[in-house]
Amino acid sequence: MISGRILVVDDEPQIHRFLTPALTAAGYSPLRAERGEEALRIAASQAPDLILLDLGLPDMDGHEVLRRLREFSTIPVIILSARDREAEKIAALDNGADDYVEKPFALGELMARIRTALRRQGANDPPAASLEVGGVNITPQNASRNGEALPLTKREHALLLLLARNRGRVLTHRQILTALWGPAHTEDVAYLRVYIGQLRRHLGEETAKLIVTEPGVGYRLTDD
Amino acid sequence: MAKPTPDATRPDPDALLAGLAQGGRGHLKIFLGAAPGVGKTWEMLTAAHAKRQRGLDVVAGIIETHGRAGTQDAVGELETLPRIPVPYRGQTLEEFDLDAALKRRPALLLVDELAHTNAPGQRHAKRWQDVQELLEAGIDVWTTINVQHLESLNDQVARITGVRVAETVPDTVLDMADEIELIDLPPAELRARLKEGHIYRADVATRALDGFFREGNLGALREIALRRTAQRIDKDVTRYMRSSAIPGPWPVAEKILALIGPDDAAANVVRHAARLAEALRAPLTSFHIERTDDNAKVQAALDLTIQLSGTVITQSAPDMVRAVLDYAAAHNITHIVVGRAPTGGKFGRWFGRRFSEALTRQALAYTLHFVPLPAAAPARSRAVAPPRDWAPYLLASTLLGLITVTGTFLRGVLPQEAMALIFTGLIAAMASRAGRSPGLFTAITGFLLWNFFFLPPYYTLSVADPRDLVALLVFLMVGLLTGTLAGRVRQEAATAAARVEALRRISLFGQRLSRAATLSDVLAAAAEETCNISGAGILLLLHNSTLTPEAARPESTMLDDAAMAAAEWCLAHDTETGTGTGTLPSVPWRFFPLRSQGIVTGVLGAATTTAMPAPVLQTLITLADQTALALERARLTMQTARAVAHEDSQKLRNALLSSLSHDLRTPLTGIRGAAETLAASGDALDAATRADLLASITQDTTRMGKFLANITDMARVESGAIEVKRERLSLASVAEAAIARVPGALYTGLNLAPDATHVRADPALLEQILVNLLDNAVKYSPPGSRIAISSRRAGGDAAISIADEGVGIPGADLTAVFDSFFRARSVDRVTPGTGLGLAIAKAFTEAMDGRITALSPRLDLPADGLPGTIITVELPAA
Repeated sequence: MISGRILVVDDEPQIHRFLTPALTAAGYSPLRAERGEEALRIAASQAPDLILLDLGLPDMDGHEVLRRLREFSTIPVIILSARDREAEKIAALDNGADDYVEKPFALGELMARIRTALRRQGANDPPAASLEVGGVNITPQNASRNGEALPLTKREHALLLLLARNRGRVLTHRQILTALWGPAHTEDVAYLRVYIGQLRRHLGEETAKLIVTEPGVGYRLTDD
Repeated sequence: MAKPTPDATRPDPDALLAGLAQGGRGHLKIFLGAAPGVGKTWEMLTAAHAKRQRGLDVVAGIIETHGRAGTQDAVGELETLPRIPVPYRGQTLEEFDLDAALKRRPALLLVDELAHTNAPGQRHAKRWQDVQELLEAGIDVWTTINVQHLESLNDQVARITGVRVAETVPDTVLDMADEIELIDLPPAELRARLKEGHIYRADVATRALDGFFREGNLGALREIALRRTAQRIDKDVTRYMRSSAIPGPWPVAEKILALIGPDDAAANVVRHAARLAEALRAPLTSFHIERTDDNAKVQAALDLTIQLSGTVITQSAPDMVRAVLDYAAAHNITHIVVGRAPTGGKFGRWFGRRFSEALTRQALAYTLHFVPLPAAAPARSRAVAPPRDWAPYLLASTLLGLITVTGTFLRGVLPQEAMALIFTGLIAAMASRAGRSPGLFTAITGFLLWNFFFLPPYYTLSVADPRDLVALLVFLMVGLLTGTLAGRVRQEAATAAARVEALRRISLFGQRLSRAATLSDVLAAAAEETCNISGAGILLLLHNSTLTPEAARPESTMLDDAAMAAAEWCLAHDTETGTGTGTLPSVPWRFFPLRSQGIVTGVLGAATTTAMPAPVLQTLITLADQTALALERARLTMQTARAVAHEDSQKLRNALLSSLSHDLRTPLTGIRGAAETLAASGDALDAATRADLLASITQDTTRMGKFLANITDMARVESGAIEVKRERLSLASVAEAAIARVPGALYTGLNLAPDATHVRADPALLEQILVNLLDNAVKYSPPGSRIAISSRRAGGDAAISIADEGVGIPGADLTAVFDSFFRARSVDRVTPGTGLGLAIAKAFTEAMDGRITALSPRLDLPADGLPGTIITVELPAA
């Protein structure tokens, strides 16, 4: 499903200069905003399908734009920023961003992330009865390969299900820990590493590669 | 003291530690003799030869042969250290060379005559201190001493022999010894040796035989020496038993309290108490109640206590007996040592006796020891009596005269009893104001006058009536009681006032120090206040890598080498040094260690040539403590400030990194994005879009180039690799070149003052400065606004100003704009720029000895527009 209006929020004219033709050529309709207020106004009035958001804006911090956007909208947001500190990424993702692309980025990668985000948005509401990850069939009850159940513990299964449901998207440590262990355990990252390690072993070498570590930020189950 | 608890069979850790502590030290062996001539030195030398033959490195540090041939021969081939000559009062003394010994570092050093007092100017006052230093340096020492030189036995020996030796050694020195060898010679043999001239020349020997060397004396001395050695052996055995966990019986905890008053017995009391403490293995405390008539004897006794490893407690209390008993009860004292009633004066004796009697009556729970006075004491006590103040007597005489003259005229009117009352009043007044003696003087003179002038028969001195005797008695009683009471009240008031004053000063001192923020403030304040309070010249020295003077009052105060040595000793050994102490007492300074958290960080020196009185010393010690605390606080504050500064610079570095990363990433993103768009979908794009993308690549490349040039410039400035030319430059031509490089603004032209058209500067740097300033003006101004360049004369400088109509700079940032990577607004949401332009302009200006300032808002613009900024560069006019 390639269509959709994409709002590009950046105060650098140079970014718009190449993104507008690039997005147009890929079949999207780009919208343009240079300030945070403007971005929120367009998001509210024109309901774009996806937002590419720069964190450094002249009138308002990108995190603030994100926070206010999430008050009224669940549209996918991909952060574009020259800030490369993990803390920034984590904060943005925890604030409800769907993905994060560091400047300078490869155009191809950005396009791939946009497709993933839009697809997930399209396949959003009814949770699929079963998901397929690298030949592993995952249902809310169990995971199996070729009809043979994998020996996953309850927690490992829950972790795999969470990653699969958010396929293509970065989940921060905090998001995963909160979902699986509750809000009291958001700092137990070491814990999570152990579970990810066990899960990868159970999935087998090939499938395990699909679980990508985003250093210092979290994990992502890749699309392909 | 270890109690025999169920697990008492474990070795006592204290005893083991005491054994270990001796590890790195040299060993000390003392050859102890009962009297001169018993052959200590000879014995020591003979033993040393034996050691040397077995291959030990033995050196004779100093041997006093006293011209005895036998001793001289005994030195034989032993290596002997040369003595150092010390000029003293016109003659030259030869002293032991401590530094040479330390440098030579033999395995075993012989140091004769442990009790010797060094010539003034030597590092230590006493030879035993030299020995202590040698032991600390790890050198084994053999030494000799006669028993009469031991501090605690000094009196005992003096009483037996009638001869008091001035050179004494603290008993602790004997305890320091790892081995004591008693050199014993029966008295008869010693006398025989003396007769044969082995010890002194014949004439001296004859006198000595009848004096010091009487058979009885020698016998007593021998007994003392034997007993002292036995005591020591007992101690060794005890220590061995404790460390080997051999169970008790251990002595119960005894505690000795020595009462110190301003009388001649003071030192004796301490010595006796110390001996008692030693024998009972009990701790010793000297207790003193402060009085205004405290004198050097008290101080000496208290100092002696410290020397004998006791504690000193000083209190201020009106009721001495009460104070003593309270202290004793609170501290589980078992023995109280007190001097016999003083014999200094009639009333003193009465008073002293009253004290000892009260003590005897009330101190039922304690063993009391009364120590006799030294034989020659009373004469000395009179010699130190303070000079009399005659003013009260003169006043009393005048008033008595006035009353008598007035009374004579009123003789018919006033009855004699009335006159008696008037005299009584005067006596009471005099006694209460001026004290006991003037009171008694008034009483006696008054009685005589009253009797002579007002008691019939007139003009005769007669005591006709018992009534008159009563009157005399009343007069005397009034004078005595009032005087005594008033005197005591005054004394206590004076003591209290002195204490209050001292406390007030110390508290003021504390306040002043607490206001001092920096280390140098603290030092200055401490030196000044300490100088004010003590009245002495004050020097504060701090230990950084070396000990250096940091503050002095008066300012010019300096230390000579000897004083410096004393200060360094004080620092290294955490002890007071200089005047009135045992270390370098000839230095006209007293040094106090400044301790904080158990470490000596500096030294407080007070200039003084005489021993300081106890209250002054106490105050100085307190001030030194306070100073040390304040210094510690200042240091901590400084450290905190440094930590904060460090954190700030961390923050700055983060900002810088994020700025750098932003400034490089943004154009890179543009270039890559445009290139990839062209590559991926070039065919789908129209020609105009393709051209725009290519142009955008060029622009971003230019931007990165500029940024890199700026960084290179800044790096050159910061590394100092910039060469500045000084040329006479026309401002007009430089400005035109700069304007040509910064397009995109509306320039209102050059407005140069006739006396500021040329500057002396580097053409390339000045042009870059102007380019950066114009760039900045354009960046922060709305399109189409005007930029004005002008110059004017400012003293010897030409001031070049660039004024814009832009967004201005908030007041707080007016200086910060010139910092590297400062940017109006925060890090990465700005019009493209590097955050280095103004910093470079500033660095270049300063490299040419110029000055750069920013002013915003401009006052010459309409109030409703943007505030605008003027940046001015001042450079030498030409």
